Amino acid sequence: MSEELKKRIAELFHEKSKGDKKMFYIRDVTKWLPDEDRHAVQNAVKELLDEEVLKYWSSGSSTYLILAEFFPKE
Amino acid sequence: MSKPETPLLDELEKGRWPSFVKDLKQAAKKNPMARDLIHQLELSYKDRIGHWKHGGIVGVKGYGAGVIGRYSDRPDLFPNVQAFHTLRVNHPTGWFYKTDALRKLCDVWDKHGSGLTNMHGSTGDAILLGTTTDHLQPCFNDLSDAGFDLGGSGSALRTPSACVGPARCEWACIDSLDICYNITMTYQDQIHRPMFPYKFKIKVSACPNDCVASIARSDFSIIGTWKDDIQVDQKEVLAYASSINIQKEVCDLCPTRCMEWNGKELKIYNDDCTRCMHCINLMPKALRPGKEKGASILVGGKAPIVKGALLSWVVVPFIKLEPPYDELKNLIERIQDWWDENGKSRERLGELITRLGMRVFLKAVGLPAVPQMVKAPRTNPYVFFWPEDIQKEVK
Repeated sequence: MSEELKKRIAELFHEKSKGDKKMFYIRDVTKWLPDEDRHAVQNAVKELLDEEVLKYWSSGSSTYLILAEFFPKE
Repeated sequence: MSKPETPLLDELEKGRWPSFVKDLKQAAKKNPMARDLIHQLELSYKDRIGHWKHGGIVGVKGYGAGVIGRYSDRPDLFPNVQAFHTLRVNHPTGWFYKTDALRKLCDVWDKHGSGLTNMHGSTGDAILLGTTTDHLQPCFNDLSDAGFDLGGSGSALRTPSACVGPARCEWACIDSLDICYNITMTYQDQIHRPMFPYKFKIKVSACPNDCVASIARSDFSIIGTWKDDIQVDQKEVLAYASSINIQKEVCDLCPTRCMEWNGKELKIYNDDCTRCMHCINLMPKALRPGKEKGASILVGGKAPIVKGALLSWVVVPFIKLEPPYDELKNLIERIQDWWDENGKSRERLGELITRLGMRVFLKAVGLPAVPQMVKAPRTNPYVFFWPEDIQKEVK
């Protein structure tokens, strides 16, 4: 797994989360990186989830990704 | 006389399905979560608004699905349902439980949750209703020890489900139970770690009666069928003639009029049969599915949300299904990959096919256009020639 790709994804999340919008679809993430292989991006996101840099947020029907620091507290 | 505590729910209890309220009241006697749930529900009926906030927490360590976060918006009134998360537990294929497994499941839920269940949700899972955030991981650990796993939720492969198939049904043309179990075990990562544009459902029916309603409810329907002729026992047909009107109730109701009855013998024009199962269901002793069995694959079924409800379309009229189902799984993966690459967020497979066209879909997944795909002849010819094919013909 490319550490470089993971770093870029984390940076993009920080950059895109500067506004009000904090939650993104996986489709948004693959669109941020049009030159990267979609599966490589998805695998990098999975690793970031394992490392708890990112977290899943689910409405029950669809799933979003969010930086762990912005995950809403109960 | 004292005023009842839950007058609106009491009214509901007088209706056709009293157990909805009755069971909640029974659970409320021993569980404070169930007690607060009743009162919050009463308030919802009174205010005519749901008092739940959905979403948030998604699962346990390593999982991104299987838990649906739910919170009360009136924790001041109902502190015991402040967090009331739902767990989706992957049901055993065909919903066959041993009683000790059911007892274990209930014991775990009595220990960690409200004790309330929904057996089963429309996805098929055993739904455990109401636990707190602190209890999620311990509950999952205990469920795992009892041999259970969480199911799918969110933008993931949802828990595959199947009819009871050959375990109890004489019409089974495929082993729906084995196929469903095999698919479930193969795609554990897609079930537990959502990475799709939206939900993806696979359902397996062992015959065209489609008891799991896969046509209406799944993106990828696998429906058992046969390729050769319906097996006919003319002696038994004659026996049925004494109890039913074969011409009126069988032949005249055949959607393709592929049967003839002369009072002595039933003739079936099998080439015109669309496997509706009507005749077989009506005369089960006389008629049986053919001997060359397999499945039809259909794609794109869904309930309404973004676009209207869609029924699945046939894309593979007949496929032999035998373990390890490599051909089937290869097709599933090609379809998911195309959808994953082209689908918008929250766009189901059927909607994507409608948007880009069936011919684009067929080309992308490498399937030939065949007559069985046509839903309504001469009204929606959605398979057109590609420009390069026309050029070839012209040359």
